[in-house]
Amino acid sequence: MHTSYVLRRLLQIIPLFLAVMVLVFTLVHLIPGDPVSTLLGDRATPDIVARANKELGLDKPLLVQFGLFVNQLLHGNLGESINLKIPVLRLIGERLPVTLFLTVYAAVLGVAMAVPLAMLAAVRRNTWVDAVIRAVFQVGLSLPVFYVALQLLTLLGARLGWFPIGGYGENFGEHLFHLFLPALTLGLNLAAILVRTLRNSIIEVLTAEYVDFARAKGLRGSVIMTRHVLRNALIATVTLLGLNIGALIGGAVITETVFAIPGVGRLMVDAIFGRDYPVIQGLTLMFALIVSLVFLATDLIHARLDPRAELS
Amino acid sequence: MNVKRMSRIALSLAAALTVGQAFAATRGGQMTFGRYADSLFLDPVLNDANLDIWILTNLYDTLLQPTADGKGVQPGLASAYSLSKDGKTVSLTLRSGIKFADGSPITAADVKWSLDRARNPDNGAWVGLVGSIASVAASGNKVTVTLKKPDPSIIPALATFNTGIMPQKLFNAAPGKNDAEKAKAFAEKPIGSGPFVLSEWKRGSYMVLKRNPYYWKMGEDKKALPYLDTLRFEIIPDDNTRILKLQAGELQGAEFIPLSRVAELKKDPKINMVLFPSTKVNDIIMNNRPKLKDGSANPLSDVRVRQALNYAVNRDALIQLVTFGTGKPMKSFMSSGTPLFDPAQKGFNYDPDKAKALLKAAGFEKGLEVTSMATSGSADDQALLTALQQMWGAVGIKLKIEQLDAATKTARYRANDFQMRTGAWTDDIADPSEITGYYAVNGDTEAAHTGFTDPAIEKLFIQSQQETDKTKRAAQYRQIQTLYAAASPTIFLFETPYAVALLNNVKGFNQIPLGNNIFEATWLAK
Repeated sequence: MHTSYVLRRLLQIIPLFLAVMVLVFTLVHLIPGDPVSTLLGDRATPDIVARANKELGLDKPLLVQFGLFVNQLLHGNLGESINLKIPVLRLIGERLPVTLFLTVYAAVLGVAMAVPLAMLAAVRRNTWVDAVIRAVFQVGLSLPVFYVALQLLTLLGARLGWFPIGGYGENFGEHLFHLFLPALTLGLNLAAILVRTLRNSIIEVLTAEYVDFARAKGLRGSVIMTRHVLRNALIATVTLLGLNIGALIGGAVITETVFAIPGVGRLMVDAIFGRDYPVIQGLTLMFALIVSLVFLATDLIHARLDPRAELS
Repeated sequence: MNVKRMSRIALSLAAALTVGQAFAATRGGQMTFGRYADSLFLDPVLNDANLDIWILTNLYDTLLQPTADGKGVQPGLASAYSLSKDGKTVSLTLRSGIKFADGSPITAADVKWSLDRARNPDNGAWVGLVGSIASVAASGNKVTVTLKKPDPSIIPALATFNTGIMPQKLFNAAPGKNDAEKAKAFAEKPIGSGPFVLSEWKRGSYMVLKRNPYYWKMGEDKKALPYLDTLRFEIIPDDNTRILKLQAGELQGAEFIPLSRVAELKKDPKINMVLFPSTKVNDIIMNNRPKLKDGSANPLSDVRVRQALNYAVNRDALIQLVTFGTGKPMKSFMSSGTPLFDPAQKGFNYDPDKAKALLKAAGFEKGLEVTSMATSGSADDQALLTALQQMWGAVGIKLKIEQLDAATKTARYRANDFQMRTGAWTDDIADPSEITGYYAVNGDTEAAHTGFTDPAIEKLFIQSQQETDKTKRAAQYRQIQTLYAAASPTIFLFETPYAVALLNNVKGFNQIPLGNNIFEATWLAK
């Protein structure tokens, strides 16, 4: 049953993909500007721009260009970056792992902060502990990401020298080290969102009859907490986490810029400003694919945690 | 040994030591330099952006080189050059023993091939800079460039990035069916003739250049340049992060320091905050046509209104507000760092009364409304136009600001669909013809898309393009600048420097007014 469900969900990605393809192609070609005159600025003569557009096939009717784009795609080719002159697939291959590393890292840190603190806040609800935890994350949530990023960089990077100021590093250990501050920045934001929901869910579950029953059975507090309370309380949080991971991948732009991380977020911004059509198209399709897969994974995990959830 | 002799020896010894110290450039080491964005395409001929242009000559040397002040030309791969009396033939002698970064010799054939590639009309945006070349001949160590007509800008053109010398054999050995494809493959790991050679490039993250052991130029210690073993570019788009990284010592230099941070960094005892003179002018481009794109009447077609707008600008105040005291007022449409800039040009003083009188004479004593496009997200544009709103408001001109992203703004003004826009220009070649051809001449780009045209300027420009007598050409350019200022097709604002912050131990780095970052003689003091 699960296999057929997964297959069906994967097939559903195809129409989504097509819709995104049409949408992004139309949008990028509708906005004014072209890559060559944007790069050259004042020095672009009409002649130079016309010649470049011809070489790039941008002088062809939009429908023809779309046909060529789809044809390329069917051959597993996302085209070539106009500004960087290298294949979009290669670019994505170089940059995507960086963003994924950062996203997973941020999610791990976020969950690692959120779960124990939400439990503590729930168990000690309406005490000063609860108040402090909630207040700190409320403030964290309302601070802009770039501000948090810059403060972390200034304090932990420049002033104390504990962490490198930006960059990505060259091996797994260095990645962990270099990406700690950006992952913490994103993780704090994520934790702030998760703590609220998780705390409320835990409180709700703690007052449920089956928890009383478990206590009456004489189960240890830690067993009740992990097996009964947390598992049930996590259900809503997992969905929230899934939704936010999608946002994290697309929204890592500011963090990637402040921390000088060569990920896809920055690539996308550069591509949009430079009107690098193939890169914008390729990245959007990739984002759509990843977000679909994350949502699918979220539903599967949800189903696992909550056997009542029907996968249909 | 008598005392006199001893003291003489001591003196000469002391002198030798002092001299020795003055020339004691330390060799070796790595310099890490923070750039705000990565290069795109390392091909001297086919690139499109300053991100490439400003570092390209570190990889590809040219026959001639710009001088350190960016105004003149000095020998490069060619040890000698001369222009024939009729101004139609350039004869160059290649240095003996020059080699590419892989150790293979740089031959006259490579030079011919490189110049032919640079002037191939199918190749990129810079063909116009060498458009006067009719043919290039090579034999032995002699290269002869024959021109279609006399061209006073040919000498600086041979010192400009797009005439960088490339290895013909290696380029042709790169995979690909045609020049464009080969260029893409070659530019990923180019072997050039410059002081450095690309060793590693992680796009968007960093670029490592190694010392080219075969570079011809000698350092002060009479050994081959460059002094540095390694030059590493780190890409750090955020200004604050780039500065923090420099202050933490993770970088030895950082480019594009926001002018708002210059004063603070000047006070930092670890940092040498340098403002390199540039050819950058910041102006407002006006649509001079009688009607705007939407058909409405355009008051800016009246020269008196354009002059009034210029007189109503308080440049000293703008320089404080927008450039934090680092800029200087524009006196001509070209920067004071451009060759043949006329120092007698006065530009516009701040005279609101004169502005009001001009507006009255033009029939706008009750005021008028104008709209300027600004680049969204640009703090400089925001500060500039807000200040202009106040200055112009005082003489009865209401300024509306339209925020657009850079690409949209470019598309709009290229279609002449604008009334005003913020503009800036930096020269690519040490010659006034590039900026003049763009700003003052109604050619391909319709005088910076202003639509402005003046038959006298057109005539003078054509003459100046063939005038090989320097004094006569300077006189022509003086006239062009005077006529342009009187017609005021644009609003002169200010010139701004290149702000580069270096750690104190970095010596010998130069960014010339054209923007080229010169690392060949850079060294790190112990």
